[in-house]
Amino acid sequence: MSEVEEVMQTHSWIWPEPYEIIFGTMASGLIFGLLIKFVVPLAKKALTARTVSIQAELDSGANDLASAEQEAQDIRQAIGDIASERARILAETNVQAEALLRDGRARLAQELVEIQERGQSEIVSIGLRVSDELRAEISRLSGAAIDQVVRTSLTDATQQELIENFISKVGASR
Amino acid sequence: MSDNRIEGYARALFEIARAEGSLDEVEDELFRLARTLESNDALRNALTDEKIPVARRQGIVEDLLGGKVTGTSVQLVSMVVGSGRGRDLPAIIDKLVKRASSAKQLEVAQVRSAVALTADQQTRLAAALANATGKEVNLKVVVDPSVIGGIVATVGDTVIDGSIRTRLDNVKSRL
Repeated sequence: MSEVEEVMQTHSWIWPEPYEIIFGTMASGLIFGLLIKFVVPLAKKALTARTVSIQAELDSGANDLASAEQEAQDIRQAIGDIASERARILAETNVQAEALLRDGRARLAQELVEIQERGQSEIVSIGLRVSDELRAEISRLSGAAIDQVVRTSLTDATQQELIENFISKVGASR
Repeated sequence: MSDNRIEGYARALFEIARAEGSLDEVEDELFRLARTLESNDALRNALTDEKIPVARRQGIVEDLLGGKVTGTSVQLVSMVVGSGRGRDLPAIIDKLVKRASSAKQLEVAQVRSAVALTADQQTRLAAALANATGKEVNLKVVVDPSVIGGIVATVGDTVIDGSIRTRLDNVKSRL
């Protein structure tokens, strides 16, 4: 066996060298010690914080649930109110519609009476106007006929007679 | 046109006619011209239309009156029309006639008749009106066919109406 082979060959195929066991055991203890001293408190602290956070979330969820239930209650209440309001509005609308209908009928009846009266009045007025126009037209035609008759009957002798009569009448007056 | 201006023109015409010694003829001629102007829209428009040159309007006056009335009348009317007062010519002439009558201490009696009156009728009518109104009158006769028959005499504010026109109007109003 050469010198190199002699150095690389251990005394047991499973156990390390004694000094390795010693130093390994010491290093492991040191690492575990450090872990216990520094990491375990941090882990505890993190777990505590996580617990608080989860508890807060649980509380918040409970609050949200209570709020949701309250809102659901309010909504149910509002639905009930809306239904009653709708019923009230419908009832009022019915009353108003009946009143409007009644007023409308009354007004229509009144307007009908007024229209009839106005119609009667206009018929009378038109009758009077037509009568007046007819009378005026007859008068105009009569006047024109009289004018024509008088003008054609006024001879020179008649004109002179009218003038002489005027002079005599004026001369006699004082 | 204001009354003062009309009065001023009338006074001027009166003085010129009197100075010319033809007041009676002038006032009589102008009176008849005034009545013609009142009844003739076309003539009145021709003498008052400012779009027609003054010379043309004066030419119309001379054509219309030349040879039919005294030269003084033509010149006086031409003067009034030339000064742009043609619209007021009837009013100026009426003032002139009134002034001429006042100068003679007469009241103007405007007589409208359907036919012309003879000189004898005018004399008797003037006497009758003087008798009826108590004033001596300066008779101005206007032939107005619208009277139809008879006479309408106006002396100052007094109207004596013996016309067929008025009688017919009364009959028509009763109808």
